[in-house]
Amino acid sequence: MSEKIIPTREKILANIRIQRFTPDKDRTPYFDNFKVEVETGMTVLEALRLIKNQQDSSLTFRAFCRSAICGSCTVRVNADPVLACSTQLLPIIKDFGKASVTITPMSNLPILRDLVVDIDPVIEKLAKMHPYLMKNKERIPKTLEQESLMSQKELTQFGQLTDCILCGACFSTCSAVKVDKTYAGPLSFAKAYRFSIDPRDSFRGMRIQASMDQGLWSCVQCRKCIKVCPKDIRPADSIRDMRRIAIDDGIHDTPGSRRAKAYTDDVEKFGQVNKPMLPVIVNGTKGWAAIEAAEVGLKKHGLEVTRQVCKLPGQSGSAKVYSKIREIEKKGK
Amino acid sequence: MLTYDVLIVGSGGAGLYAALKSRIEEDLQVAVLTKVYPTRSHTSAAQGGVNAALANKDSTDTWEQHWFDTVKGSDYLADQEAAELMCREAPEVIREMEHWGCPFDRTKAGKIAQRPFGGASKPRACYAEDKIGHVMLHTLYEQGLRHGVNYFNEWVTLSLIHNGQRCLGVNALNTRTGQLHTIQAKAVILATGGYGRVYWNRTSNAYGNTGDGAALAYRAGLPLKDMEFVQFHPTGLRRTGILMSEGARGEGAYLLNALGERFMSRYAPDKMELAPRDLISRAIETEVREGRGGPDAEVFLDLTHLGMERILQRLPQIRQLCIGFEGIDPIEEPIPIKPTAHYSMGGIHTDINGLSPIEGIYAAGESGCVSVHGANRLGGNSLLDILVFGRRAGNHALEYARQNDFQPMITNPLATAEARIQKLMDGESQERTADIRREMGNLMAEKAGIYRVAADLKQAVAGLAELKVRFKRLKVRDKSKIFNTELVAALELENMLDVAEVISQGALERVESRGAHYREDFPKRDDKNWLKHTMATKGSDDRPILDFKPVTISRFQPEERTY
Repeated sequence: MSEKIIPTREKILANIRIQRFTPDKDRTPYFDNFKVEVETGMTVLEALRLIKNQQDSSLTFRAFCRSAICGSCTVRVNADPVLACSTQLLPIIKDFGKASVTITPMSNLPILRDLVVDIDPVIEKLAKMHPYLMKNKERIPKTLEQESLMSQKELTQFGQLTDCILCGACFSTCSAVKVDKTYAGPLSFAKAYRFSIDPRDSFRGMRIQASMDQGLWSCVQCRKCIKVCPKDIRPADSIRDMRRIAIDDGIHDTPGSRRAKAYTDDVEKFGQVNKPMLPVIVNGTKGWAAIEAAEVGLKKHGLEVTRQVCKLPGQSGSAKVYSKIREIEKKGK
Repeated sequence: MLTYDVLIVGSGGAGLYAALKSRIEEDLQVAVLTKVYPTRSHTSAAQGGVNAALANKDSTDTWEQHWFDTVKGSDYLADQEAAELMCREAPEVIREMEHWGCPFDRTKAGKIAQRPFGGASKPRACYAEDKIGHVMLHTLYEQGLRHGVNYFNEWVTLSLIHNGQRCLGVNALNTRTGQLHTIQAKAVILATGGYGRVYWNRTSNAYGNTGDGAALAYRAGLPLKDMEFVQFHPTGLRRTGILMSEGARGEGAYLLNALGERFMSRYAPDKMELAPRDLISRAIETEVREGRGGPDAEVFLDLTHLGMERILQRLPQIRQLCIGFEGIDPIEEPIPIKPTAHYSMGGIHTDINGLSPIEGIYAAGESGCVSVHGANRLGGNSLLDILVFGRRAGNHALEYARQNDFQPMITNPLATAEARIQKLMDGESQERTADIRREMGNLMAEKAGIYRVAADLKQAVAGLAELKVRFKRLKVRDKSKIFNTELVAALELENMLDVAEVISQGALERVESRGAHYREDFPKRDDKNWLKHTMATKGSDDRPILDFKPVTISRFQPEERTY
């Protein structure tokens, strides 16, 4: 009755194109091509190791656990940051139909050698976020006779965020890091948020301040970090949530919080955002310069300029929604 | 010269715990030296749980029962006073982790949740989904950031320096620059993890679990204990050795050979797939030996009959692992698996404070051997071991560093380290690290793995001696000073060859079967002659000299180990 098991295993000869750079030897990075027989089950990391073991022992990359939990082996495969150890190579080779793949180091970080980058900048930014629990004395017992009590529901609020393995994929892909080297990067905010909503913690205010110091409002919500995160922790959502708790905690005097507030206030008042006046609300008197410049541009094209918001037909509807929200909020308190 | 009161080598759970303990006291200079970044360490791979008799799930649980389970699980080779201490201190260290923010799962009452585990009489493994090691390691790292622990990241330790009585420090290589350094330290704690990689591709361990600490200690003249005891997990993925947890078999997965037979009916007709780990590992080996394995000497873990819905609902992680690491979907086809070297019970011989025979040199965690795991480690006790003995070693080393001054450093301490590196760079043959390493792994898996027999073990010993000769002529081709991973791999291989030799020699001389050590020619446990620890030191001819030390039995007399 038993049936013989014959597993299907394929092999394709592929070209692996890898970015190389050895600082005491090369002036600039260049590409090397390696021919590798890629088989069913082979990961990007296995291919790199095969090349190192059989073709070029100087090929340099990081790898450790090779089971997607240590976060060492992040590289870019056809420009997307991935964990080399948990990325199957055969489907990629087949997808492109060219039997070729390009492997480069992470972006936004200095290259040390070949595929190895310096991740210290990531860790230094993280360290500024107070990324550790500071005891809330009301929740954590004085002695080690007892653990603190916390419900599974409270834990679930931040549980997924504790999956972060500091692999740096989000940092590599981040649009805000690219233009602003002082910006903390997605994972630092995710970690800051994780501790800020832990009921055993007492340091939320300090972390909100640290987040603002490191560009909390600079994130453009492109959400690329969500796409590349191998642990699905959704850093962009944490950034949004961190902004929310900052406003909830009464921080209304930053450009970002003013913008967020202007959006909700305007929709309540006008049924839409009062875009022409937004620069002033966000940036204060400096905003007038932007408005006047825009107006000059419009006039040049013979367009009529207005600082009035037209009321939309749906405005009464949005007012109703808001009054309902206020009602619910009142009850909640 | 860099100078620290306490230097910790290794940044897994044991190293970080020791560092944190030392750092919180603030009066001493403490640093952690690690060949990776701290959060990369292999502690992060532990999935299931950490044992402590908190009695949150079963109010009748006590640390004494935990103690008994540990001793029984060890096949009575654990030192009972050490196991007692570990089980007694367990609840405190777990609560300390919790107070530091470790996100344990919770019971309805809001306490730390606990689950049942193999070999445990009560549900006492505290868990965080299937990532307990990861969250523990990160909690320790986070608290370390808070307290300002110093790290030397991506530094490889080359040798221990001592004057015969006391620790002086270490030599180390900064891989980023290629520079060698002597670091002077009053106390050094080795917390470098296990040596599963001596089986190279047949292990669940990280690439770096190459027995560095054990080899450093061995070369410095310190004894290694019970090195022949290596635990194999029956179900590792074919290509990578990554574990398919016991949960799959718990859900009703079948083990099939290449003929599609549920072969466990031949070995454990009642328990079938739920027989103990060691028995299943041996059954798989037998099937493959007798020609009923797959094309790559594998057998199959079959989930297909469970159906898509059940697999998606109950075993989503396992499915993800198969897709990511093996390129197959277990909903559609059976998972190819092989037994995989999983945990090193043996290690550097220490007392209950982690202290080696030389003052100021300590070892903790998987790199050390107190011994609490004896011949076979119980699930959930490895994470506990690193916490309890990481803490004890940290505390003891601190006290030692406070009460003692720096000893005069030997003249030109770097000389031997420099010569060693130079020799590797100038090797006289075309021998390659990768080739010797692969042959070593195959040799160990075939001759000193799950099944052991005198003739095979002799071949292993002889084969390793040959590989060591070849290693002496090995040549590192990469000449760059910067991030020379080929050089690091050669250094690791040298460590593994020493460790493999000690494992094989110990396995050859131990003519009984106990726990993870199974001798086909001596299938019974022999308490009369072998209830003792193997102690290996390096002889003048470079070969291990074995000696034996009695086991401490304080409460539980040896009985047959049945479940």
